[in-house]
Amino acid sequence: MNPLDLSTPTGITVALLPEIILTLGALIVLLVVAWRHRTAGDSRLAGQLSLVMLAASGAAVAWLWVGRARAAGIALMIAVDEYRFAAIALILISAAATVLMSLRYMEREELLAPEYYPLILMGTAGMMFLASAEDLMVLFLGLEVMSVAVYVLAGYDRRNIFSSEAALKYFLIGAFASGFLLYGIALVYGATGQTNLVLIGAQLAAGQVPMMATLGLGLLLIGFAFKVAAVPFHMWAPDVYDGAPTPVTAYMATGVKVAAFIALTRMLFEAFPGTVQLWQPVIGVLAAVTMVVGNVIALAQRTVKRMLAYSSVAHAGYLLVAVWPGTRMGAGAVMLYLFAYVLTSLAAFALLASLGRGGERDVRLDDLAGLADRRPWSALALALCMLSLLGFPGTLGFIGKWYILQAAIAEAHYLLPVILVVTSVVSAGYYLPVIMSMYMKTAHAVPSDRGLYLPRGAAFVVAVSLVGVIVLGILPSGIVDVALRTAGSIAQTVAPVAGR
Amino acid sequence: MRTFLDSIGYGGWILHALVAIPLVGAVLVALMRGRGARHLALAITVMELVLSLGLWWHFDPAGGMQYRAAVDWLPRWGIQYSVGLDGISLFMILLTTLLGPLSVIGSYNYITTRERGFYSLLLALSAGLVGCFIALDLFVFYVFFELMLIPMYFIIGIWGGKERLRAAIKFFIYTMFGSMLMLVAILVLVWKVGAATGTLSFAYDHLLANSAAAGPLAPWLFAAFALAFAIKVPIFPFHTWLPLAHVEAPTAGSVILASVMLKIGTYGFLRFAVPFFPEVALGPVVSGIMVTLAVIGIIYGALVAMVQPDFKKLVAYSSVSHLGFVMLGIWGATVQSVQGALMVMIGHGLSTGALFFLIGMLYERRHSREIAAFGGLARVMPLFSLVLTVVALSSIGLPGLNGFIGEFLVLIGSFEAYPWATGIATTGVIFAAAYLLWALQRIIFNRLDNPENEGLSDLSVREWLVLAPLVAGMIWMGLAPGPVLRRMEPATRQYLEQTRPGSTAADLSAEVGR
Repeated sequence: MNPLDLSTPTGITVALLPEIILTLGALIVLLVVAWRHRTAGDSRLAGQLSLVMLAASGAAVAWLWVGRARAAGIALMIAVDEYRFAAIALILISAAATVLMSLRYMEREELLAPEYYPLILMGTAGMMFLASAEDLMVLFLGLEVMSVAVYVLAGYDRRNIFSSEAALKYFLIGAFASGFLLYGIALVYGATGQTNLVLIGAQLAAGQVPMMATLGLGLLLIGFAFKVAAVPFHMWAPDVYDGAPTPVTAYMATGVKVAAFIALTRMLFEAFPGTVQLWQPVIGVLAAVTMVVGNVIALAQRTVKRMLAYSSVAHAGYLLVAVWPGTRMGAGAVMLYLFAYVLTSLAAFALLASLGRGGERDVRLDDLAGLADRRPWSALALALCMLSLLGFPGTLGFIGKWYILQAAIAEAHYLLPVILVVTSVVSAGYYLPVIMSMYMKTAHAVPSDRGLYLPRGAAFVVAVSLVGVIVLGILPSGIVDVALRTAGSIAQTVAPVAGR
Repeated sequence: MRTFLDSIGYGGWILHALVAIPLVGAVLVALMRGRGARHLALAITVMELVLSLGLWWHFDPAGGMQYRAAVDWLPRWGIQYSVGLDGISLFMILLTTLLGPLSVIGSYNYITTRERGFYSLLLALSAGLVGCFIALDLFVFYVFFELMLIPMYFIIGIWGGKERLRAAIKFFIYTMFGSMLMLVAILVLVWKVGAATGTLSFAYDHLLANSAAAGPLAPWLFAAFALAFAIKVPIFPFHTWLPLAHVEAPTAGSVILASVMLKIGTYGFLRFAVPFFPEVALGPVVSGIMVTLAVIGIIYGALVAMVQPDFKKLVAYSSVSHLGFVMLGIWGATVQSVQGALMVMIGHGLSTGALFFLIGMLYERRHSREIAAFGGLARVMPLFSLVLTVVALSSIGLPGLNGFIGEFLVLIGSFEAYPWATGIATTGVIFAAAYLLWALQRIIFNRLDNPENEGLSDLSVREWLVLAPLVAGMIWMGLAPGPVLRRMEPATRQYLEQTRPGSTAADLSAEVGR
């Protein structure tokens, strides 16, 4: 494929093809549900149509990726590189899995308002813009499109007070975070006169970093810290994750996290590469605190959903360790870890959705007792999820952690890796009880998952994710190379040692 | 024999087979239908044992690291699936494969629920153990080191006793804590060596040859390695997971745990921690600490064992004591002491394994392990009592049985370097006699005063099958340790050369001649 000239209509259209297809798709599905929105069949139709749209968008990404699309000159507004394609692919996977696990779930929970699916498509388009943004304005637009959709989704179970609480909380905190982010953008623009990431980077590399830019960077980091739920900006996450319907929680925990982390990484790598000494301490402290607090508080949780919410905070901490080095390897580690985390979390939430009712808020660890006898395959799958989240060898989660550790250690930094592994051991304290409960305790008289089962769509998500987690965990060579290669497009460091 | 083995290309596939057979077996057992899981598991472990026995003849003592094979795994980071075997790992492998079929037979009646799961995990566990002992790439070693945890965790947690949940999680978290820090240490070492040599590789030889690149970080790296292995051994202050895990685990679990898994710790010291950082490890400070802890472990383990009312707990604490001898032997750093350490590792594997089996047999009959619940068993179970006596004497270290050789060599070999410590450690042998003989007296002698013990049946054929190989091994190793020592000596020598760069082969042979 020839380099795309992003200043021409054709060039930008081709570059934005996945986003365009998905946005159009969202509109089409919205139009369909305007007429057909009464029965469960209508809702299912909307879901299936959405899957088609996601697949079409995925095909466009694949076409661009295989064709090695790139921008002529520097990329304006939108990145055209492998890092973006990989991120978009992850986001699409997460959206498709969410739709698949929602199909039966929405019927079971009697949430038959099929506008749900266009909202997911809209939110996904927002995420894709966020992850692709080469310009702070696009970044902000993507963030808002994504956030507004997710606010609504979080409160989708409007008869459930916790769902409404989740939406309100997420909205207020999200608005707050957007404020920080926008102010940061304004300050950076004020200091450099640019909104394009690469141009900002060039500007800042030229001379002394102005105070205003430093301040802007700080505000941007705060905004992102809110979005990725890094401690101490994580307070909203447990309540929101807990209150939202479980498929939406899965969507937030995976899609939002991917988009925010990719955008953060890209911003730091492209706009602030010369000012590593400015942001590295901040990211380092955030990472350390997030890992410690997330893991320790997760230990105290008794319900599975809340435990997963805190564990998601902890994983944000691990990801920040991957961002920390500011090297190509670090960016590759971000991508690989996100991939591992997305696959595992999707499977875990899909399983959780089949273990309770009414948002699954009250599925306690004890309710899993004896699951291995009642539903051996579900128990095995959930056990594998826990092991992968724990980072146990033989799973992709381990390869992800290994990669992060390497990225930090390659920079001759040892404190964050040590904190990472020690907090990982702490995490065994809450992942293992899940396995314990399922396999080593006897069931109650009336298990909470009585009459529930894993519907076919969700089972498909679980099966595919876990096969991926195990196969790639045992034979990681290919995926590791891909992760490192994609990272090459946003960070070019000369490698003193092979593989760096 | 050797010619025959060569004719079937034995050396080319044996190590792969030893890992692959139990792994495939684990899957087969897990997926099979019906109730024949234990028979299939037995067939697989026997096959494994028979194949591994070929090593005894085929292994070339002077050949150093042999049966090497390497396949690229993650080439970008210099990770290969790389394996090999030398005189140190040979016996660990044989011990593992010997205990495989025995623990299956020993579980035939004991495990009655979820049999497929149990035997599948048991097979997976033995694959992990074998993998650990043959790994020549630190990534591979780490993976196997961690992978063993999961089967053992389930074996304790599902089929264990009353406190099994606590025992399982404590075991898991302790071991994982150590191994995770070791993971960081491995990575740091690899990157340091990579920066110094320009080759990023997890290969054992590469790291061993260039471990000096660790520079000022060496003490920290050694500490991380040592902590992981010290927890596994376990050395004195890190031993608290052990009694709980041993007591709660089902018989087969305790046997594998005590006989093989603990040896991963001492093996780790011999293979990795000490050779990588000899200046640190054998320097005065660390030596002082390790020898002190070893001696404390010997005495403390023995004293605590003495007061245990539960026979299984008594044996568990005796492990702490025996493994202290191994540590002392490693830090004695002479040919005798290191060989002694290896002999104790093997001897402890045989005798403690047998003790746990015997306790399991008692438990199956009486559902109790309290020493006080028994008495006068010699009258109702004469053969059982005979075997128990032989095994206990072997564990004590009676000359003519296997326990003696190892501890004797350790004490002789370490005396010169640490006369005081060795002197104190010697009393551990006396304590061992005290706690075991006292327990024997209360269990099989005394009066048969508990009516519940009157109808107990003696050893069955199945139980003989379990015990006979172990007892035969004890007597054989006690009377004729030569073939074993001969096979491990060159490897020991090589180990010492690696750890003492200053000394030459001539010094070492002079030392042996003394």
